[in-house]
Amino acid sequence: MILSQEVKKAKRTGFIPTFLVGGLLAAILPVLNTAVRSENYLGLPGTPLQILFDANWSMMALLNILLIVGGACLMYYTEYADNAIQKMKSLPIKEGMMFVGKAVLLSTMYVIVLTIETLSFIFSSYHWFGLYNGFWLELGKNFGYVFLLGLPSIMLSLLIASAFKNMWIALGINVIGVFMAMMIYNMSFILSLFPFAMPFRIFGGTDPNRVLQFIGAAFIGIIVIGILEFIFLKVRRSFE
Amino acid sequence: MSFISLIDIEFKKIKRSKIWLILLIAMIILWLPSILNVDLNFKMQVGISPENNFLIQGLLGMGWFIYPASMVVGTLLLNQTERSNNGILKMLALPVSTAKLSIAKFVVLLTLAASQIVMAVVIYYASAILVSRIEDYNFMLSPLFVLKEVGLVYLSSIPMLAVFWMLSVSIQIPIFAIGIGLASIVPSVLMINTKIWFLYPMCYPFFVVTSEYGKLATNLTTQEVTLIPWLPIALTITILCLVISCIRFGKAERG
Repeated sequence: MILSQEVKKAKRTGFIPTFLVGGLLAAILPVLNTAVRSENYLGLPGTPLQILFDANWSMMALLNILLIVGGACLMYYTEYADNAIQKMKSLPIKEGMMFVGKAVLLSTMYVIVLTIETLSFIFSSYHWFGLYNGFWLELGKNFGYVFLLGLPSIMLSLLIASAFKNMWIALGINVIGVFMAMMIYNMSFILSLFPFAMPFRIFGGTDPNRVLQFIGAAFIGIIVIGILEFIFLKVRRSFE
Repeated sequence: MSFISLIDIEFKKIKRSKIWLILLIAMIILWLPSILNVDLNFKMQVGISPENNFLIQGLLGMGWFIYPASMVVGTLLLNQTERSNNGILKMLALPVSTAKLSIAKFVVLLTLAASQIVMAVVIYYASAILVSRIEDYNFMLSPLFVLKEVGLVYLSSIPMLAVFWMLSVSIQIPIFAIGIGLASIVPSVLMINTKIWFLYPMCYPFFVVTSEYGKLATNLTTQEVTLIPWLPIALTITILCLVISCIRFGKAERG
C-alpha cells in the first residue's frame, strides 16, 4: 500500500528513468576502464572480481550515492511543492509511514542500480578474465554487502530531505555530506562509519571481523536514523 | 528595465535562501581535513614544498568535486525560487526580454561561484595561520600567488557554469537537471588523463589545478594547459550554452 503510493507519486517526476540511466552510466565504467587499460589489470593479483572492484568501485559508489541523494531530495520535493504534504498529513496515515515508504522505494531503486552494475561486472569478468570456481558466491556476497552498506546513506539522505522545505538546502547539505564522506572514508574506521562513507566500502580484501563490524554498524545506523526521523517528525508536528 | 537593476532584483530573490551558508560550510569542510592531516605535507614524495602542497591539495578537492557540485546546487536554487509559486509567470509578464533575464541569472551564478572561491581563499589563510602555529613551519604563501591559482580555477570554470546553467534551464524536470549535473562531475577524473580533456568543460577546473600541481612538484609530470585547442573550444561551448539557455528560458511556461 505505502510503496504503491510512493511509486505513483514518483511516476511522472523522472525518478525511475534517472536511476536506470545512472545505473547504466555506472555500469559502463568497469567495461570501458577494462577495455582501454586491460593490460594494467590482467596481471594483478587477486580474483578478477576483486580487481574490478578495486579499480572502479570508488567512482561507481560515488555515482550511486549521488543518485540516492538526488532521489531522496526529489521525493520530498514532490511533497513540499504546492503543499501536498499538508494533504498527506490530513490523511489517516502516520507521517512516519511515508518516510518508510520512501525508504523502501529508494532501497528498491538501489537494488535495481546495483543489479545493472553487477551485470556489467559479470560481463567484464567473463569477457576479460573468464569465470572461475566460486565466482557466483563471491559475487553474491559482494552484492549483499554493498547493498546493506548503502542503506544507512539512504536513511540519512531522506532524513535530511524531509527536514527542509527548500530542495536546494536539502541537496546542498546532502552534497556536502557526500563530499565529507569522500574525504574521510579512508582515514580511520570510526570515520568510515559515517553513513555516506559506507557505500564506498568493498567486500573483498577486508578482514572478516571488519566486515561483521561494518554490517553491525549498518544495522545500527538504520535503526538510529529511523528513530531520529520519528522523533523529528513528532517534534515538528507539535510546533506546527 | 536596465540590466543592472535586473541583476539587483535577482540578488534580492536569493537573499533569504541561505545559499551563502551552504557554500561557506562546503569550504570549511574542504579545509578541515587539510588541517587535521597537516603532517602529510612533509611526507610528499613528488618534490613539492609543504606550503605549496597544502594549498594544492585543497584546491584539488575543490576543483574535482565540491566546487562543481555546489554550483549544481546553485543552479537549482536559481530555478526553484522562480518556479515555486509560479514566480516565473510574473517575471514573464513584465516587459523584459527573457534572454536578459536568463543572462542576469547567469551573472548571479557567476557571482555565487566567485564568492565561494573568495571564501575558499579566506579559509585557506585562516587554516594556513593555524597550521603554521601548530607545526612551527611557515605555511603562508604570497597572496599574489594564491590569487593567481584560484583565479585560474575560476576562469576555467566559466564554461562549466554555462553548461550547468543550460542544463537547468532547458531540462524542466528538476531531478534530470540535478542528476545529469552531478553525474557529469564524476568522469572528470578520467577525462583529465585523456588527450581530449578540452572537450569536457566539467573537468576544466580540476585539470587546471592538476596541471599546476605538476608544475609545482618537481618529480611529477601532468599534462600542461595548451591554450590553442582549449581556448576556442571553451569559448564556443560557453557561447553556445548561453545562447541555448537564452532561447529556452521560460519556454515551458510560455507554452
